[in-house]
Amino acid sequence: MSQPQTPTPNAQPPKEDLRVGVFVCHCGLNIAGTVDIKQVTEYAKTIPDVVFVKENRYTCADPGQEEIRKAIKEQKLNRVVIAACSPRMHEPTFRRTVSEAGLNPFLYEMANIREFASWCHPNTPQEATERAKDAVRMAVAKARLMMPLQTIEVPVTNKALVIGGGIAGMNAALDLAEMGFKVYLLENTQSIGGHMAALDKTFPTLDCSICIEGPKMVDCGRHPNIQIFAYSDLVKVDGYIGNFKVKIRKNPRYVIPERCTGCGECRDVCPIEYPNDWDMNLGTRKAISVPFDQAVPLIYAIDKNYCIECFKCTDVCGARQAIDFEQKAEEVDIEVGAIIVSTGFDVYLPYDMPLLGYGKYPNVITSMEFERLILAAGPTGGKVIRQSDGKKPHSVAFIQCVGSRDKNKYPYCSNYCCMYTLKHVVQLKEKYKEDVEVYVFYMDMRTPGKGYEEFYDRARERGANFIRGRVSRIDEDPKTHNLILHSEDANLGQPIEVEAEMVVLATASIPKKGSDEIARILNLSRGADGFFMESHPKLEPMDAPTDGVFYAGACQGLKDIPFSVSQGSGAASRAATVISKPKWKIEPIISIVDETKCRNKTAKCGVCQDKCPYGAIRIEPNKAAQIITASCHGCGTCVAECPQHAITQMHFTDAQIMAQIRSALEDKPEEKILAILCNWCSYAGADLAGTSRFEYPPSVRAIRVMCSGRVDREFILEALRLGAGMVLIGACHLPYDCHYINGNYKMKARTDALKGMLTKLGMSPERFRVEYVSAAEGIHYAEVIKEIDADMKALGKEKIQAETAKLKPVLDNMLKRWKK
Amino acid sequence: MPLKTQKRDTAEALTLEWILQTKHYKLALDKNLCVGCQICSLACPKEAIKLEKQPKVQGEKAKKAKVDVDLAKCIFCGICDITCPYGAVKVTLNGDHNLIVVEKESFPELIRDIKIDTRNCPKDCVACVEACPLEQLTISKVTYDGKPVENLDALSPSQRRHVVVNVDIPKDKCPTCRACEYKCPPGVIKMRKTFEGKIAIDQAKCPEGCQDCVDVCPITGTLTVADGKVQVNESTCVYCGACKVVCPVDEALMVKRTKVLHTPVHSGTWNKTLERITSPVDTVKELKAISGKKARDMVSKRFVSEEVIK
Repeated sequence: MSQPQTPTPNAQPPKEDLRVGVFVCHCGLNIAGTVDIKQVTEYAKTIPDVVFVKENRYTCADPGQEEIRKAIKEQKLNRVVIAACSPRMHEPTFRRTVSEAGLNPFLYEMANIREFASWCHPNTPQEATERAKDAVRMAVAKARLMMPLQTIEVPVTNKALVIGGGIAGMNAALDLAEMGFKVYLLENTQSIGGHMAALDKTFPTLDCSICIEGPKMVDCGRHPNIQIFAYSDLVKVDGYIGNFKVKIRKNPRYVIPERCTGCGECRDVCPIEYPNDWDMNLGTRKAISVPFDQAVPLIYAIDKNYCIECFKCTDVCGARQAIDFEQKAEEVDIEVGAIIVSTGFDVYLPYDMPLLGYGKYPNVITSMEFERLILAAGPTGGKVIRQSDGKKPHSVAFIQCVGSRDKNKYPYCSNYCCMYTLKHVVQLKEKYKEDVEVYVFYMDMRTPGKGYEEFYDRARERGANFIRGRVSRIDEDPKTHNLILHSEDANLGQPIEVEAEMVVLATASIPKKGSDEIARILNLSRGADGFFMESHPKLEPMDAPTDGVFYAGACQGLKDIPFSVSQGSGAASRAATVISKPKWKIEPIISIVDETKCRNKTAKCGVCQDKCPYGAIRIEPNKAAQIITASCHGCGTCVAECPQHAITQMHFTDAQIMAQIRSALEDKPEEKILAILCNWCSYAGADLAGTSRFEYPPSVRAIRVMCSGRVDREFILEALRLGAGMVLIGACHLPYDCHYINGNYKMKARTDALKGMLTKLGMSPERFRVEYVSAAEGIHYAEVIKEIDADMKALGKEKIQAETAKLKPVLDNMLKRWKK
Repeated sequence: MPLKTQKRDTAEALTLEWILQTKHYKLALDKNLCVGCQICSLACPKEAIKLEKQPKVQGEKAKKAKVDVDLAKCIFCGICDITCPYGAVKVTLNGDHNLIVVEKESFPELIRDIKIDTRNCPKDCVACVEACPLEQLTISKVTYDGKPVENLDALSPSQRRHVVVNVDIPKDKCPTCRACEYKCPPGVIKMRKTFEGKIAIDQAKCPEGCQDCVDVCPITGTLTVADGKVQVNESTCVYCGACKVVCPVDEALMVKRTKVLHTPVHSGTWNKTLERITSPVDTVKELKAISGKKARDMVSKRFVSEEVIK
């Protein structure tokens, strides 16, 4: 891969007079409502090198941006600091603004005074203002040392991979294929179609599920631009946006796809039946079979766990010779420019809720099983019958929110259970009319969708009994196998008992089994609920934090069919924004090696190569380490690990971060918490604390790094030398949350040793803390800061100052080398 | 629905079940009929059946090995049912004993070639009943007009002459040991052994005073103790291998099966089963025999068709 131009490590900031411009944003009242903007602007004017200060109502709006452009030109600014919202929000916007005015976009820095000041300290405006001032000072300190950088361009493979062939994935694949891109559709089961293929009818129109999905499946199978890898697993993904190298393992079907005509003669002669998990194990399939008749691709497969190798199928297949018992798993390498993840969800089976009797009483089933029972093509031919006696039930009770909205299980709402239960009610009532009594036990009936409330009315008109209450226990009559439900009628405020011949549990939908594996392979993060985290919950609901990866469907959050379809199409168009371009620009926030300092030239070193999570560093004997620019993801772990300080991370240099630390601790350091937060989890979590208005003590001063792996030992030592009250490192959760694979582990190894040493030297152990905060844990971040602040107050200024005095000579000595 | 499976192990029976919405698979092992032989564990294509040797208590008779079926591996194909010489295993689907492997001709059935011609039966003979080591054989007597006979002596001589004797051997439970045939004076019963083979004891290697094999052999009289040594009477041996399972010394006892009498169905599963029950050499012999038969069939077909043309 060609090495794009990057500045050399020795490049010093241009020798010119610094002319820093500071722009302070009101953000309407979002900032100005708490932070005293006047004070901040007046203060900014006093900072050395600041030649221009301006406040705006909305800096991100057109007039605000225009003022920046104007000021850069008129005032000949060569550094820009914008004090506004989180850089995770508007950094790209202002980079564009700055470059439009002719200034290098990497010569601007943001001071976060909204999420990190006004929003999280609403009741302490003066402290919030102090924090904002400090943030501006720290940003200016960093800005002084910034260097112009050139964006790196890489070529783009204009193909896409869709992982998961459910309704969302199929739509994404079809849309991309229609736009003219080659699409690989990866599915780990034997057929595409997903959960929708197993459903009977779809709400609220009651049209047959497979009748509307079947044609889409066939389209996917026949489209010249779509290649389906069914019954295949994702093994490995290397590379980066525009240039992913994907390894796929095709599991052996023991049937040669090209030769199988899908006639099914082998299935007819096969003597072995086994429970069909696609059918929720209600029915059976043969040892050589397809999971369902409409399967795409229509290729039979042998399950060797059940096959007794009688070879009757081989005999009947005859001259077609499609069956190959010796088939092995095959690995395929493909190259794509973008990846769409649409891995879907699983259905929770409430075995661990013994009071409901699932798995114990034969007539307690889940909604998905009910779906298979009422389906005409299902194992019972569309007859709703009880397992205990094979008879039609005369009363059916539906229980909502089994596992969902339950703090002990899955706290979230599963989104579509109310609707499918209403559908089951209507179906039952229309099928058996007055012959069946229906009860629905619910907490709230949630019907927000087009035509959904009307559908609720339709169910009520059919004469179902809706009982508001949570079922606490189900007992079985051992003779009749009827079920007695104990519940409370919340409307009457009385306990009630209902006897039903069948109970249907609307169980929670849960993250797909194997999501953790996909997350690990693709470097995705997952929320507290286990679903994939999007880059921004509102503005980038389809974008993964890894560039070039997009989400579609229920893997990102539970959604019904129309929403999954729209998100599939949305993800397709997002992916097209990448793969339709011949080149993709990569941020130049990468590492570079100072060849003069690298120890590997004289001795065998290679520490950086060992620690690089991406294998982006090449070590050859007696030569300086070499960084493969396009493979470098810019975590900075190597920078912190290098024993010679020979590696520099552009835009996050040691000097810049040190300047920020010193600036943060200029005034009353013993009353401050210095927090170094990783961009993807902790900084985002802290942002969320602000966005969610979780209030925490304003003593914290935060510095952003891309990865906690970047945190050098010296940063901590310097902070303590300057007398910081508390030091906090914020990282992604172990083991898999790190955006850079395992930077958090490397930080942990480094800091564990350091903490031991510092404690021995006489530092109170609570003064240095490592916390793991995910992007979803705003509340956790607030709690952590509260705890640390309380600890700091408990220690007291005097103790901290005394410790600093004691530590200072040792730390001075340790930092001497660095200062050279 | 995750598969509802059940396994129950009582003193009388071992039952395994798969309970689906409309299908109910069941494997039942009757522990009274089971002798702890090797056949089912060898025949099982999924290796789901294990024999557990029971610890020997000093001074007591050796116990037969316990058969255990692994619920996670069993696929209810019914091959153990088909091959059990003693009819101890029953595999059913919704209570129906017709096995799909047999119906789809993926596995043959064992032939129990038992011919009974009771015309020559002496009216008061019960030699075969006494001979049956498994106590399966029963005799019923009816008068010529079909009334069951309670007491033979109460009948007049002419009535006695017209009494019809029925010898009833439950075919699925008979291991064809031929004990009844040998004891039957007029040759009423004729049978061929389902399993053919060899059994031999190297008395020199037998541990002193050990007679574990004799204790577990279900066919009384096949293994006997004389002068403290175990003797074999091969004529009644069914080569089931129950003795081999409990034998404490590897080379003291040899049981080999060479041929299995079965319906003319051939499949990969059967070949493998046969290989495990007998030996690769014997399997090749059978396969050669089939190919020879196939060649003969082809030739004879041609002759027939040529004759038709003529």
